[in-house]
Amino acid sequence: MSIEKLPDRERIDAFDKVRGATRYAADFQSPGMLHAVLVPSPIAKGTVVRINETDALAVPGVLRLLTSKDFPEPDPDFEAPTGEDDEDEEEGFSAPSTVVDVIAYRGQPIAVVIAETLEAAIEGAEKVTGEYEEEPFSVVMESPGARREPIDEEITSGNAAEAFGRASVVVDETYVSPTQHHNPLELLGAMAVFEDGRLTIYDTTQHTMGVKNAIAASLWIDPARIDVKSTSIGGGFGQKAHAYGYSVIAAHAAILTGRPVRIVIPRGHIFHIASYRPKSVHHVRLGADSSGRMIAVRYVAEHENSLAGGLSPAEYHEGTPRLYDIANYHGGGIQVRLDRPDAGFMRCPFPHQACFAFESAVDELAHKLGMDPVALRLQNDGQIDPMSGKPYSSRFVTECITEGARRFGWSQRSRAPGSMTAPDGTQIGWGMALGNYPSSMSPAIATLRITANGKTRIAISGHEMGQGIKTTIANVLLDGLDIDPMGLEVVVGDTSAAPQHQTAGSWGTAGCVPATFKAVTHMQAALRELLDGRSVPGSIHRQLATIRRPYLQVEVSEVAPGQAPEALEYLRVSGDATAGPEYPDFTSMSWIAHFVEVRVEPTTRRIRMPRCVSIVDCGRVISPRTARSQVHGGVVWAFSAALREATEIDPRYGGYLNSDLAEYLVAVNADIGEIEVGFVDKPDPLANSTGLKNLGEVVMAGASAAIANAIFHATGTRLRSMPFRIEDLL
Amino acid sequence: MEPIAYSVPTSAEQAVSELMSEAGACYVAGGTSLFDLMKLRVERPSRLIDITRIGYDAISTSGSELRIGANATMSNVAENPTIARDYPILTEALLKGASQQLRNMATVGANLLQRTRCSYFRHGAGAIASAGSIYPCNKREPGSGCAAIGGLDRTQAVLGVSGACTAVSPGDWPVALTALDARINIFGPNGRRDLPVSGLYRLPGNTPHLEFDLKRGELITEIIIPKTASGLHSTYHKVRDRESYAFALASAAVALELNGWKIEHAHVALGGVATRPWRAPETEQFLIGKTIRRETALEAARLAFVNAQPGRHNGFKVELGIRTLADALMIASERTRTV
Repeated sequence: MSIEKLPDRERIDAFDKVRGATRYAADFQSPGMLHAVLVPSPIAKGTVVRINETDALAVPGVLRLLTSKDFPEPDPDFEAPTGEDDEDEEEGFSAPSTVVDVIAYRGQPIAVVIAETLEAAIEGAEKVTGEYEEEPFSVVMESPGARREPIDEEITSGNAAEAFGRASVVVDETYVSPTQHHNPLELLGAMAVFEDGRLTIYDTTQHTMGVKNAIAASLWIDPARIDVKSTSIGGGFGQKAHAYGYSVIAAHAAILTGRPVRIVIPRGHIFHIASYRPKSVHHVRLGADSSGRMIAVRYVAEHENSLAGGLSPAEYHEGTPRLYDIANYHGGGIQVRLDRPDAGFMRCPFPHQACFAFESAVDELAHKLGMDPVALRLQNDGQIDPMSGKPYSSRFVTECITEGARRFGWSQRSRAPGSMTAPDGTQIGWGMALGNYPSSMSPAIATLRITANGKTRIAISGHEMGQGIKTTIANVLLDGLDIDPMGLEVVVGDTSAAPQHQTAGSWGTAGCVPATFKAVTHMQAALRELLDGRSVPGSIHRQLATIRRPYLQVEVSEVAPGQAPEALEYLRVSGDATAGPEYPDFTSMSWIAHFVEVRVEPTTRRIRMPRCVSIVDCGRVISPRTARSQVHGGVVWAFSAALREATEIDPRYGGYLNSDLAEYLVAVNADIGEIEVGFVDKPDPLANSTGLKNLGEVVMAGASAAIANAIFHATGTRLRSMPFRIEDLL
Repeated sequence: MEPIAYSVPTSAEQAVSELMSEAGACYVAGGTSLFDLMKLRVERPSRLIDITRIGYDAISTSGSELRIGANATMSNVAENPTIARDYPILTEALLKGASQQLRNMATVGANLLQRTRCSYFRHGAGAIASAGSIYPCNKREPGSGCAAIGGLDRTQAVLGVSGACTAVSPGDWPVALTALDARINIFGPNGRRDLPVSGLYRLPGNTPHLEFDLKRGELITEIIIPKTASGLHSTYHKVRDRESYAFALASAAVALELNGWKIEHAHVALGGVATRPWRAPETEQFLIGKTIRRETALEAARLAFVNAQPGRHNGFKVELGIRTLADALMIASERTRTV
């Protein structure tokens, strides 16, 4: 079952955004509002012996200074079980750290200053001094004190060691992806109001339920007395996918002072306390027989993390074993433990780096085999997931590759590296690569109400980070129901309106659509029942008015394939109840093929990308406008990750050196050439009622490899360590 | 909160007198650099004296020299059609700096005094905006040491460095002015004086905190550029980590006086690689009488980097600087034939 092709519709929030009318977390104000500013630790590791508060409190306008002593220990009995908790491995709730006296990394908050004005709060925070017991620290993977911790379970299928014995061609190389920070334009921040025993937090988060539970556990408050609202996010990208201590701090400050409190973290401090894409090193060994059949993989991925952070290198193996039909796979991983904050999710986490490494290796294999990279990939396509033995719900990889090759003009490519040099010496290279990403799903709950006076309101699980979740939901509603688009309100990111899931990993928007589709069909049925055979002309609003019904409302919920109804309970209590990509009867992945042209300047060796063609299999496309925008964004980010972005860490000091947008270089408009987007747009027959699969993450996967492969084709030089900078080709 | 006084004098005399009467006072024009440094706590003025209403914003191209008021904005000068036609080196240097929004605010006089972008200098003053980071920096805190030497120095200078400081002079505009032998007119407590732009900048030596040869209270009022036919055969070529809105990794300002195909005189200055706008007299000397070809250009460019002293991660700037300068020489000479 699936839905028909949907029309291209403009973003429903576009008008507000271009007028500057959209309100973000720090835009919310309340009478009597105070300002809180965090005091960062100046040392990289150690203990606070004393904090000198006098100078800070002497600043006119400063009301209070809170240190770790002012925060309770989080409630150890607090529970918010998730769909992923195993029965034998019951994990307790882990509250984010707030203000500490044991310093784990430089910049960690050691105090918070609350003042009448932002200026006073900043000045107060800068006047806080401390005495510390410093300890030696290790902040980069190369540090002597870095602790290397292999993952417990290796990811295997077949017998890779034996199969390498049969391989006639082997590639064995190491690839590196740097530390990177998300840098959404909207800074982390929140405003907390405590009134009549209720706490309301206006936050910028992809996980309002996570924030709600973090505050409940940290401050021993009944979650039923907390509302969290994050209705428009100025970019999330995974940075905002979990709760941070600043939200708890704002809540605590509001309760202690009895006044609303706003906190905004300056960008330089965000670099130091937010999550980041960890630097990762990928050892890929790939073997093929002489016909170009890939038969064996050994792939070990190591990445940097905090001393206890949970982000596991095992996840680099969710995508790569499924790129091709390779029978023998041996995947390992190593956590490199450092005195740093927790590594986290950043756009296309894992597959971006893994596909860069793996798809570079496949290109190297094609070169060694003397094969065309497209032909090699087509030859190794398959319809069964080698890891689970289950079929894919849908896999149109061959279609992505052939359509991309056709649009790009791949048949005009001359194979030898350096063979497409222009008369002025400009080296032209054409490269391609595949990407994939797990198509996970979250359950969703929705309430849809249509009124006789022309209004429609849907309150549903999910957050709007700019990816277009509201537009996508609106497209399904407006396609299925005759309602006034001008009276349509889509309410997301508000725990007081509907249970909220962690909107990340592409499962958020994906999960909302089947629920919305169900709401449409239930509304149609309810209307039929109400009209009872009568023929009433006009829109639904008109019909309701005619039969003198003020409104009609339906409530629906939808779970992922094979999920038990308890999943809805996990959604209600923790916002975390995702399933996939392995479902009971199939594995569901989204796929993409990227074709890239690069031009390398003959003299100063600047690398440019005049064009890219990207063809996606994400099942049925639900919102063509925002879907295309997602692909553009993914390709731009892959360009930026491959050629621009790296966070600098000086091992002598810890912290992050280039911690602003002038020095952490992201791609600018002038960097970006033409990006052509295509969709296979064939509905997935198994994944869900609407035939969609995930989109927002997969679009970035593989594009950095396509760039690296094009650079090799242009120059004959293989670049294996991102970002590729001007000095790499000089 | 720390109060900051703000005043808007309407004459240069008034501005100078206000500045001389308060130890912590400081001039501000567009504020595009100063306000950042204030948030970063690198600069902590007690009074801002806004000099944008004192006049000195005229652009005159009609006399024997180009005269540009220090308060003209970067965007206004960049849009001047005569300058664009006869001195592309100047227009390009402006348009390749900053962003349109910044150029609309920033002035060409104050731009000469832009401070270095060294991360340890900017982000090491303990500001909340820098997450409280404190790095030693001889430029910011004389005698505290230099974190960049032995640190992350990919963007640091390779020419004019000292054991105390390797910070790059960040500007584009001053490099072009240096190449064209421009002068500045200065008004101060002791009246007016003229100074070549090249004389404004000090090498770091053991006193990197002393950056400009300006006395307290002195104000740049005008930039004077001798007219030269070489302006027609000129370029400002800038290579950076992205295509716009970034500081130079290497840049070259070149203007050639030609007699047929032969170079009679070359104006050459470098940016992005040195601790001050860097005139390259060895290159200029070598080029006299030469017909420009790529090999000649590379040979000439190498002479500018003979004394380069790279650090740990910026060695590539030597080769990049040579190629950037060679490209600039080629671009300027190509312009010769098309004009």
